[in-house]
Amino acid sequence: MTDNPIIFYPLSILMIIFACLAIGYKNIFYSLLSAIMVFFLAGVVFYVLGSEYNAVIQIAVYGLAVPVILGLAIMFTNPKDDKSQLSSKLKFAVVLTGGVFLLSVIYLILTSLAIVPEGFNISDNSGTNPVSAMAAFSAIFTKYVWAFELMSVILTIIVVGLSLFKKEVK
Amino acid sequence: MIYHYLFLGLALFIIGIAGSILSRHVIKVLISIEFILTGVNINFITFAAFCDNTNFDGFIIALFYIGIGAIELAVALYIFYLMYKKKQSENIENYGDL
Repeated sequence: MTDNPIIFYPLSILMIIFACLAIGYKNIFYSLLSAIMVFFLAGVVFYVLGSEYNAVIQIAVYGLAVPVILGLAIMFTNPKDDKSQLSSKLKFAVVLTGGVFLLSVIYLILTSLAIVPEGFNISDNSGTNPVSAMAAFSAIFTKYVWAFELMSVILTIIVVGLSLFKKEVK
Repeated sequence: MIYHYLFLGLALFIIGIAGSILSRHVIKVLISIEFILTGVNINFITFAAFCDNTNFDGFIIALFYIGIGAIELAVALYIFYLMYKKKQSENIENYGDL
């Protein structure tokens, strides 16, 4: 499963297309839906790379929690623009990005299949390392315990700071 | 094969940069910043998977990045919501006095 080009290329194409759509859509709700797809597909890419733990965290945080916050913000701000068309300024950028990316993907597929001569082959022969979650992430509680604690302190400061900020704004 | 993953991360990074510059909607700018973080995460995990045989530092740092990115988004949305109650606009050009 890890480092599988047959899975990777469609995933990456879909990710780039949805990322371009998320930026190109004028309707913010459609942008959010496209962004959710990008975050989900990023989780699948992490899984393909052999990091199941990161994939689960990515899908749980960015695929589920963050869209809920963004959706609530969209609901509270009540957008009045309901046009689903791409803005003319961004349409050119989306088409240009998609074209360049498609050409690049074709080149990468050809190089990975070794159809082009040897000198143009940029892919190497190294594979991913199979990682067990316990072996990789036990470092959080040993080597990175101070970073872990620092992040928890930052979270606490943010919660207190936001409550104070809200009082000040009122 | 490592270059293909790095190219995907770079593409997401560039799309995020372009979106954060070109977009006028505040929430769309925040989504673009999340694209940038996702591209960086893909790079971290790619290097950890292909190049690091012992420590797996990239996986841990990507994990912290996911947490920090979600926190940053929540804080930014909260500030945006508070400012929106005053400005009644989603256009980022109206938030110059933030």
